[in-house]
This record gives sequence, structure tokens and C-alpha cells, in this order.
Amino acid sequence: MSEVASRDLIAAGFQELQRAETFLADDELADLDPASLVRTLAEAPNADEALLLLIRLAERAPDVHDLFRQGDRHYPAAVPLIRLLGASPPLGEFLIRHPEHTDILTEPCGPQPHVVGADDLLRTMMSAVRADADAELPAARLNEDFTAKDAGRALRIAYRREVARLALRDLCADDPAGYVPQASRQLADAAAAAVEGALAVARAEEESRSQQASRVELAVIGMGKTGARELNYVSDVDVLFVHRAPDDVDEDTAQRIAAALSGGIAKVLNASEGEPALWEVDANLRPEGRDGPLSRTVASHQQYYRRWASGWEFQALLKARPIAGSRSLGEAYMEAIWPLVWQSSAREGFVENVQAMRRRVFANIPSEQTDRELKLGHGGLRDIEFTVQLLQLVHGRVDPSIRVRDTLSAIAALGTGEYVSSRDQAAMIRCYQQLRLYEHRIQMRQLRRTHLMPEDETQLRALAQATRPPGQTRRHAPEGFLKAWRATRREVSTFHQKIFYRPLLSTTAVLADDEVRLSAEAVRDRLSALGYSDTAGALRHIETLTSGVSRKATLQRRILPAMLGWLAEGVDPDHGLLAFRRISESLGASPWYLTMLRDSSMAAERLSHMLTSSKLISEMLEHMPESARWLGEDDLLVTHSFETLWAEVRSAIARHNGQLSSAVRPARMIRQRETLRIAIAEACGLLSVEEAGRALSAADRAAAVGALRVAENEIRREGDLAVEFLMVAMGRQGGQEISYGSDMDAMFVHRALPGAKKAEADSQAQKIALRMTQLLSKPVRPAVRGEFPLQVDADLRPEGKKGPLSRSLDSYREYYQRWMATWERQALLRARPAAGSDELAHDFTELIDSVRYDQPLQESEVREIRRLKARVEGERLPRGADPARQVKLGRGGLTDVEWVVQLLQLQHAHHKPVLRTTGTLQVLNSLVDEELLAPDDAAALADAWLLCTRVRSGIVIWSGKLSDVLPSSRLELEAISRWCGFDKGRAAAFEEHYLRTTRRARQVFEKLFYDS
Amino acid sequence: MDRQQEFVLRTIEERDVRFVRLWFTDVVGTLKSVALAPAEVEGAFTEGLGFDGSSIEGLSRVFESDMLLKPDPSSFQILPWRGEDEPTSRMFCDILTPDQEPAAADPRFVLRRQLDEAAEMGFTCYTHPEIEFYLLKSEELDEQGQPVPADRAGYFDHSAGIVAQDLRRQTVNMLESVGISVEFSHSEAGPGQNEIDLRYADALTTADNIMTFRTIVKEVALAHGKYATFMPKPFGEHPGSGMHTHFSMFEGDTNVFFDPSAEFNLSTTARQFIAGVLTHAPEFTAITNQFVNSYKRLWGGGEAPSHISWGHNNRSALMRVPLYKPTKGGSARVEFRGSDASTNPYLGYAVIIGAGLKGIQEGYDLSEHVTEDVWSLTTAERKALGLNPLPSTLHDAIRKMEESELVAGILGEQVFENLLRNKQDEWDEYRINVSPFEVNKYLGMV
Repeated sequence: MSEVASRDLIAAGFQELQRAETFLADDELADLDPASLVRTLAEAPNADEALLLLIRLAERAPDVHDLFRQGDRHYPAAVPLIRLLGASPPLGEFLIRHPEHTDILTEPCGPQPHVVGADDLLRTMMSAVRADADAELPAARLNEDFTAKDAGRALRIAYRREVARLALRDLCADDPAGYVPQASRQLADAAAAAVEGALAVARAEEESRSQQASRVELAVIGMGKTGARELNYVSDVDVLFVHRAPDDVDEDTAQRIAAALSGGIAKVLNASEGEPALWEVDANLRPEGRDGPLSRTVASHQQYYRRWASGWEFQALLKARPIAGSRSLGEAYMEAIWPLVWQSSAREGFVENVQAMRRRVFANIPSEQTDRELKLGHGGLRDIEFTVQLLQLVHGRVDPSIRVRDTLSAIAALGTGEYVSSRDQAAMIRCYQQLRLYEHRIQMRQLRRTHLMPEDETQLRALAQATRPPGQTRRHAPEGFLKAWRATRREVSTFHQKIFYRPLLSTTAVLADDEVRLSAEAVRDRLSALGYSDTAGALRHIETLTSGVSRKATLQRRILPAMLGWLAEGVDPDHGLLAFRRISESLGASPWYLTMLRDSSMAAERLSHMLTSSKLISEMLEHMPESARWLGEDDLLVTHSFETLWAEVRSAIARHNGQLSSAVRPARMIRQRETLRIAIAEACGLLSVEEAGRALSAADRAAAVGALRVAENEIRREGDLAVEFLMVAMGRQGGQEISYGSDMDAMFVHRALPGAKKAEADSQAQKIALRMTQLLSKPVRPAVRGEFPLQVDADLRPEGKKGPLSRSLDSYREYYQRWMATWERQALLRARPAAGSDELAHDFTELIDSVRYDQPLQESEVREIRRLKARVEGERLPRGADPARQVKLGRGGLTDVEWVVQLLQLQHAHHKPVLRTTGTLQVLNSLVDEELLAPDDAAALADAWLLCTRVRSGIVIWSGKLSDVLPSSRLELEAISRWCGFDKGRAAAFEEHYLRTTRRARQVFEKLFYDS
Repeated sequence: MDRQQEFVLRTIEERDVRFVRLWFTDVVGTLKSVALAPAEVEGAFTEGLGFDGSSIEGLSRVFESDMLLKPDPSSFQILPWRGEDEPTSRMFCDILTPDQEPAAADPRFVLRRQLDEAAEMGFTCYTHPEIEFYLLKSEELDEQGQPVPADRAGYFDHSAGIVAQDLRRQTVNMLESVGISVEFSHSEAGPGQNEIDLRYADALTTADNIMTFRTIVKEVALAHGKYATFMPKPFGEHPGSGMHTHFSMFEGDTNVFFDPSAEFNLSTTARQFIAGVLTHAPEFTAITNQFVNSYKRLWGGGEAPSHISWGHNNRSALMRVPLYKPTKGGSARVEFRGSDASTNPYLGYAVIIGAGLKGIQEGYDLSEHVTEDVWSLTTAERKALGLNPLPSTLHDAIRKMEESELVAGILGEQVFENLLRNKQDEWDEYRINVSPFEVNKYLGMV
């Protein structure tokens, strides 16, 4: 016996050389030429396994030796066997288990393998169970020597034999990827034949039990990949059952027999005695799912699909086809159901279905295995399948020619119909077949249902080898194989955009020769399927954005396909597209803008999201287009503290030296800019409601301090400053809980500087207060466009509008001692020094602390507050308004929560110092900590308060207008509901949630505020 | 256009139908109707028919008054009483917002949503109502200000020649001709009082049927020169008109209330259902007994249940488990005896089913059943047995409902609020009314 060099073993793909050498010396192989054998084993995807299996097989089936009779340098007749043993150990084991089936190894397996027809497969399986394939209701001929168990085993063996034959042909094909469609079709046909055989066994059994059984017809409808004849080596077979019986068989009996037959099929296929089980027969897609009867009559199916079925159930039927059982019944079923499928899948909730499907295309599978997934994940088989189905749904409504079942035919039909360019068509077919080939080979290896790329190096090596035709001179390295797979994935992940969105630009854009030009109708079909309602308008915008040869148009052609999809996810896609056009018009010339959108998909997605869901942001962006830059970087969306902002305002004012009239403008610009930053950050989910409130307050405060500085400078021009001045923020400004466009409730305090005359100081203070107010709200030149000017409201001051704008500290002291009303004491709870002298702030705080916190509330004062609140409820609401929808003053709205909090504060702050703060939520928390408020009650109040605050800001964000009413129009409600974190299409649920949350808060309010 | 819609249009064409009435219900349960010309029906199917919702009680507020009626083609029926000369038909409608979403304030939607929830738990709900009403000589009152009954027939009295006989037969025929099966009909206890039982059907169909039934009864009475009323208690001295309803639930083909091995063949699910209804009954009494007058029936004796209890074939209990042949497991059911003939069936069934489901979901325990005649017990005895009363006035019932999260959840916030407001208005109106009783009693006394 000649020695085999290690080099030859390595060249043949052996990993364990010593073990291989031992095996080669095995007695079973004694009469073979080792060198020739090794050269033959080189064809095995996994030579180690193939060799071991070969020895075991030769032991059991001496015939196998015949394959090694001829051959000079190798054994050509043994190549198919060696390929099989090295690619699929379980099929090798099958031959070892049943050596009588090794006759299949001598069948010809050429480079262009033949196809075994459905009818042949059917006859093979039927003869295995001894049933007459041509009978109307075939039943297995069972007897004592050939029981149902025997028949089932024979059937499973016959099926495996056919799969092994197919694998032999498949593995020897010259173009394995090209053979994928035929292989899948034969697998589907073999599965159908196995189901037919199993039914014959089930029927024979049932007929022995029930006289009526022979009169009940059953048809099996294949769904999914079985229905479309694109099955994998191992896959669940999705089915539906339908039955029919003559009138004189009563319905219950027919139903029972049909259920027994349907259930019997699975029993036969899943038994494992003598030969392992095949695959699951899954009937869970049937009407009513698991709860529904296993089988129904045609009429009952029809009734269900007419009355109850939802969109996805029709989509599941898009691939349905009778696969076994009574042919005429199967046809009757299809005739009844098929028209409903296209009708309904096109009509009911069409846009929703399409969008749900689109989301599934993009859904990330959060799993460690995503990287190894062939099917799911980016660039997986699913990507292709969904894109194809989506196009079929969108265009199949009007074009029956693309209503075909399997993916490859659908791609071909889409190409013929000119919905996909011939180049894209070819690429999709190539990638699809490649991925399916990987899938087939992976499954073949263990005959297990898996879509995971192996991690193990040896397995990868074997897989690489198995996916190539035999006769390779060099073995494929795993790295090269993985690289090729990744390239395919990358290509696949671009299909959706290229094939669905890109052609939307086709009516106008300059097309490359190989791009498909869709008809205007087809483009509008796609746009309306995406959710654009004014498709003509959308087309016009796309036209403007993409026509021409400028760099801008070129870049926009690149980014628009993706953005069209994102915009479509938004509340108002039509408006979003228009806004995008506007921004592009004002910004397209800036070099960074389009580049950023091209390079940062996060920026582009965020921009799309905001343009469709916020008029406030899109308008502000139009005026401050350079802010679009922030979208690309979270660091730029971090809000600034008051100190940082004030430093910026101060230096800007200093630079403006000389022109006092416009000196305040930079302060207002900065406030405007920060408002936009906060809005974008909140819209991106980077800020909570509370954080946004604090950040907005800080921006307002910086502007106010700037205005004060300018006002003081103006006084200084005319002479010496005689006064220390302080602005105190009140109300929600005091609590730092404001929203976009809130005004500023304030009071002004002053004190004469040492040596200054009181009268002089007083008059200067009035001037400063008035001037400050004007500086913040009066128009400036050039105008701050899109600004909500900060309106200062000083009506809460002592004596209200009748009193002087600013009072001295002493005057406040006197007023509070002599005249103060209870409501003023309540209002002081929210006072917070915001701008001006620190010493004065300290002294004023000391004064008001003694007023607001030191004394417990008198019974008469409690009564007064309650009465005042009751009166406010009656008077302040707009006439005819629904209190349940008033966010601020309404039932369970902001005011209700704040008043009850303030009442408790007034009652308890004198002995609980933690309550001495201006923030509503802080006080609520402290009240719970101090056991002054039940946690449930506090939660009900806090929930409503947060929700109302969020709704209020949502209204401004969405509409760009201030309003305190929960909108009732669906579109607006949808916008607010999404701002509040509800999913698309949940506006009604959100409305209910709002009404419920505020009702509960109102109940708590009434209990705490009026009752106790 | 689906097949049912096509069927409707074809029938209109073939039968030369002149008017199509679109029916819907306000929160109180009053039937509202809009007539359409046949040419307008197709548009109503596709677009819906716009109307001003603010004119309908509890449907919407002035500022959001635009609503759409969307006819349900499966409810299409030719109405029998207009004769063959000018055939008229009707369809029930769902009410939609201008955005084509179900209006939260539509009572039919409330029931539909509740049944969907039941379906999610795997249940289909069936109901079978027994509706009582009085036939009066006319709408006019007598000199004492009392309504006048049409006849003096007593319970199960089959005396010949009574108008009611004839009238009842015609009513039954008409009901059958619009596809409503009637199970049994007989005279009830009061003079002129009648009862007709509708055969059991799924709860939404039953509710639609009740609306049709009331209309037909009134129409037939008018055709005979009489007047029919579903007022809960038109006569102080005679029993009121109830609407006892039997409830059963199926899971597929199985009646889940049936358990052959349990006491009264009552499954655990059924016991939990009863417990749910009993526990929450005070919270929804303002719906099942929605008028000031309802409480005169509830507390006026004559077989009306005023206390919360259940019993096996005990007619004095609020929930009764009727006797049925133990072999007929499919007919296992429980009867709620609280609701009266004026109940809005959509809301009434929604809350009863909702409360029962809550009992099932939370696994409520059921109290002991009562074997005694609850009416004959003394107050102390009832207390000892733990039998709590239902609310004794509409006011009490409103207060109970106001605090019920369960009822708010079942009705939805908008119907909940509309209903509370409507009932409060009614109570306020009643409170300032000086009744003949007061005048008679106090005018001379003080």
C-alpha cells in the first residue's frame, strides 16, 4: 500500500491528518488505491467526515465498492457519494440506516442535473404507503402486516430517499446557485407528496373507525414557501385544511372526521419509530389561529375571510396553493378565496399594511446573532422578500401580471412590467439565489431548520466548499467565503432604497441608461402607499429638488430616496416634504448642509422627523438654517446653563457698544437660538419635560439679564445710577417649568444706592422696569425672525395694574405687613429672583420667606383660597369650552394640580422647611416624603401635571401657535400623541389616556382641595 | 364596495325602496333616524353621511359637532309597517369622526369595543332579553293624571278577544319579518302589561334588535290606535317594566358557564362572572336603571331586585341562575334582573359584560347564594346575610358611578362624562319639581 503524503491530505481538505491516515488503512478500504481515494475525497466539503461515513457505509452496503472500480487517478463514479457524505452527514446516516437505498448512488448526476416532476414524486410516496395515486380519495391499503405505523415509516423513508437523491444532484450541479429554484420546487413537491401520502394513511385509519369517513373530502392548502414552491431543505410546512361532505353527512360528523384526517397527517409525519420525524405541519395561520377548528368548509372559510379576517391574514394567503387531498375541492377553495385576497389586501388598511411591512423591512433584530443571520437583519433574505412583496402589493392592485406567488417569478414579473430595471432585476435574482444557496447548504449539513451562518472555522470551510460545484482545483478559504457573503449582504441592503424609493425621482431626474423610468401613475401609487396624500404636490417638490445638474441637485438625488421614507413615517408627510424643500432652498448653497445629510443618516432622519411633526421647529430652522448642523451631533444639542448663556450675552452686549437701540438684539437672538436647540433636543428625546422647562427658563433669564444690563446702561448715559434693581420671576417662570413661548410673570424691586436720593432712585427704577419690558418684547431692527418675544407680565405685583411697576424693598415690606391679600401670599410661593442685584435678591428673599413660609394658614385664609379657585374655574374658562380639554385651567389641568400643591405648601411650609421651594414636582415629592400626601394621590397629580405640560409644549411644537386646548382634529391629536410618546395611529388611545389622567387628578384635587 | 353593500343597493333597486332610514342611538338610548333617498346610499357607504352631532344628546359638544354616519350594510332590513306601496328600509350606523375613526361617544362603539375585549379573552357573548312594556289606551292621561291601560289582562291570562292578543301576534310577525326571532310572549302581571322575549343572539345583534323591537312595538300599537310605553314604572300600584337579560359565554363551541360536576352546573368562570357583576352593580346602576323613574321600579316591590344577591332559580335575587336541563350544557346561562325596559341596551350590556369579565380576569370569589325570598326579609335579616342595597335614587347611583374606574374604562372617558352630565342634569331637574304626591299630602296638612 502506497503511503499518502500529508501534503495530499491537506490539499484534499483533511483537518486531522493522523486520524485520516488511520482511517485510510481501514480494512474496508483495503482494495482501493489510497491516492486516488484521497483525490476523490477532495470533492467532499468535509473530507474528515466523508471518510468516516464512507467506511461505515461500505461496511453495511458492500455495493458501494462498485463505485470505486473504475478510475485512473481518482474515482469519478464515487464523486456524488463523496459530495453527499461531506455535505450532509444526516443523509449519509440515512444510507447507513437503509443500505438497500444505495442504488440511488448509481443514478447519473451531471453538471446540468435533471428535475424530478411532482407527479413522479407523488407516485413514489403513494406506492410507499400502498395507496392508489389515481383514486379519488386515496387510502393506504393497511392490514395486519402493513399497519399505519409501517406505512408511516415507509413514507418517511421514501421521502428521505427523494431528498437524498435531490441532494446528490444538487451537490453535483455545475451552477448550484442556478439550480436553487429547481431544488426548491422539488423540495416543495416532495413535501406535498409526503403530505398526500400521510393523508392516505390517516384516511385508511379513519375509514376503519368511521363509515362516513370515505365520504368526507379533505384538501390541504399550502401557504408560505410550500405554497409558492420555494421550500428549503428543512422548513415548517404551513397549511390550511378545507373539507367537504355530501348533505346527508351531518356537519358535526364531517367536522370531526376532517379534524381527525388533518391531525392524522401531522401524526404520521412526526412519528419517529423506525425512521426519524420529518418536519412540523403548521396549521396556525388558519382562521382564528390556534382557537379555530382545524378544518373548515369552503363556505366557512369564505365567511371568515369576508367578515373577520384582517389585513395580514390576506397577505398570508398571497402564496396559497392546493398541495394535497381532493383536487376539485382545493380548486373550489382557491376559486372562492383568491379573488378576496387581492381585493382585500389592496383595500383594507392598505397604507397601514404597507407601512407596517416597510417597518419590518427596517426592523433591527436585536440579537447577538444578527451578524450571522442569513434571513433577517440587514441584507438578509427577508429584505428581498419584503421589498418584492411590497412592490407587488402597491402595483398589483392595478396590474394583475405581477400577482405571482414565488419570489423569483415576482422579480421577473416586476422586471417585465418595468417596475424594476433590468440591471436591478438581475442583481436581485443573483443575490437571492446566492443567499438561498447558502441557506440550503447550511440546512443540509444537519437537516435542521436554521438560518445561521456557522461560526466554527471547519464548518465554514465545508460550507464554502459545498456552495461551489465539484471539480475545483483549489479549496475556498473561509475568509474569502465570508467576504463574498458580506458583499452580497451589502448589495441586498441597498435594494430597498434603490428599487422602491429611487424610482420615485425618475419622472424628472436625469436617468442613467439602465435605470427604470416609472410612469407618473406608478410613482403616485408608491407615494400614496407611503402616506403622502397630495401626491401631485409631492411630485412637484421632488421635481424641484432633483432636477438639474448642479451639485445641489445631485446630492439631493442621493439623499431624497431615504428621506422620502422617513418623511412618510411622520405625522404630516406632505408638509414635511414642503418644509424640506424650503430649507433646502435657503440652505442648499451652504457646502456643509447637504454633505451632512448625505454623510449622517441620523441627521437626515432627525430632520425628516422634525419637518413632518413640528411647524415650530421647521419655521425656526428656516430662519436659522445653520442650526441644522446640530442634528448631526448630540454634543451640539446639550443645553447650556444660565451662566454660560449670560457670559455669551454679556460679551455680545459689550461688543455692541455705541448703538444702544440694537444692543439687546444679541440677547434675544441667543434666547431664540437656545429655544430652537431645546426644542430639537426634546424632539430627539434627549431632554425630559422637566429639563426642557429648566433650560427654557435659563434662556429667558439670560435674555432678561441682558435687557436689564442694556436698560441700566441707558440710564448711565444720562447720569449716575442711583438704584439697585431686581427682577423677580413669578408663576411657572419662578418654578422653572415653562414651555415654548411662555411669557414671563415678574415683579420688580429696587433700593436706593447709598447716598442716592430716594425719589431719584424710584424714578430710575420705574424707567428701568418699563424699559426692560420693552427691550424684551418690542420689535428690534433687524428683526429677530420667527421669535416668540418674551412678554413680561407684571400684573401680580402689589395693587396689580394700579400699583407702580417697581417698588422699593421697604415699600414691599410695608405692603406685605398691612395690605397683603391671601392670593398674593400664595403667588409669592413661586417667586424667584431672576435678574439684578445679588444683595437685593438676598434681602428680598428674606422678606418674602417670612411672608410666605413663616405663618400657618388661618382657617379663613383657606376658605378664601378655595373660593377664589372656585371662582376662577367658573370665570376664566373661555365660553362654551369643554373643561375636560383645557390643559391649563381645565378639569385636572395644570392649575388644579398647582393650587392643591400650593395650598398644602402654605399649610405646612412653616414647620417643614423642605417644602420651601418653587418647583411643583419637588414640592409634591417632599409632601410624600413628609407623609403629608398619600403616594397614590401625589402620583395622580404628578402624572396629570407632567402630561399637561407635555401636551402644552406639544401644541406649540406642532402648530407653532400657543394654545391651551387639547385639539380634537385627528391630525393634530396624532401629532400631540406622538410628541407624548404614543405610537403612530394611537391618537384615540392617547385622547382617552389624557381624559382619564386628568379626571383622576381632578378627583384627587377635589378630595384634597375642597374636602379636607 | 363589498358584497354586502352591493346586496343593499341591489335590494333597494329591485324592491323599489323609496327611503332608507339610518338608525343610531344617543347616550340615553333614544333611537335617532335620518332618512336618505336611495341615490344617496352609495355615497353614505363610501364617505359616510355628515351630520351635526351637537344636536344629539351626549354625542358631541358644540365645538366638535361634525360627525359621520357610516351605515352597517349587514343590518339592512326592509321595514314591514309602511306597507308595500312605499317600501322603507333601515340600517344601523356606526358614528365616525370626520377622520373616519370610530367616535368615542357612540354607544354602539362602546359595546363593540367591550365585545372585542371579550373576544381577546377568547369569549363570544350571547344575550337573551325579556322585555316588558305597558299597552295604554292612548298617550293621553285620565282626569287624575294617570295613564290608562289598554286592557286588564293578568299574568299568563289567555282571555279571548283582547286587543293585546291580536296586537301581540302582529308584533311577533313583524319582528320575524325583519329577522328578529321571538322566543315566547305572554301577559305580565300588570293590567296592559306585556312581555316579549327575543331569542338569544350575540350581544351587539341583540342590542340592535332591542332598538328595532321598541320601534316596532310602538308602531304596531299606534296602528291599532293604542300606545306602548317602556317607561320603567308608569303605575305606582302595578309592577314596573324590566328587561331581564340572560347572559352566556362561549369559547368556540363550548359554553364556558357550564360545568356538569359543579353546584348548579355552574362553572368557576360563571361564578366569577356573577361575582364581577354583583361587585360592580352599584357602580353601573345609573346605566341599567338610568331614569329618576327607574328607582320607583327598583324600590317599588313587585319582583324588582333592590338588593345585591344571587340565587338558583330565585326570582328575588339580582342575579338568577335559571333551571335548565342538565343535558343541555349549551344553554347554561345567568340572568341579570336589575335592568329595566328603558335601558340603553348598548351601554347596559357593555357594563354588565365588562363587570363580569373583570370578575373573571381578577378571579373574584362569589358570595353564598340566597335561598330565601329577599323581599320578605327584614332589614336586619338582610344585613345579617350581607345583602347590600343597590343605590336607592338616581342621585346615589350617579355618585357611585362617578367614582368607578371600571365604568369609566368600559364607557370610555367621553361617554362617561357625557352620561354623568346628562344624568346630573336630569336629577337637578327632578329635584326642583313639586310632585302631585307632595301637593296632595302637604297642601292641606300644613
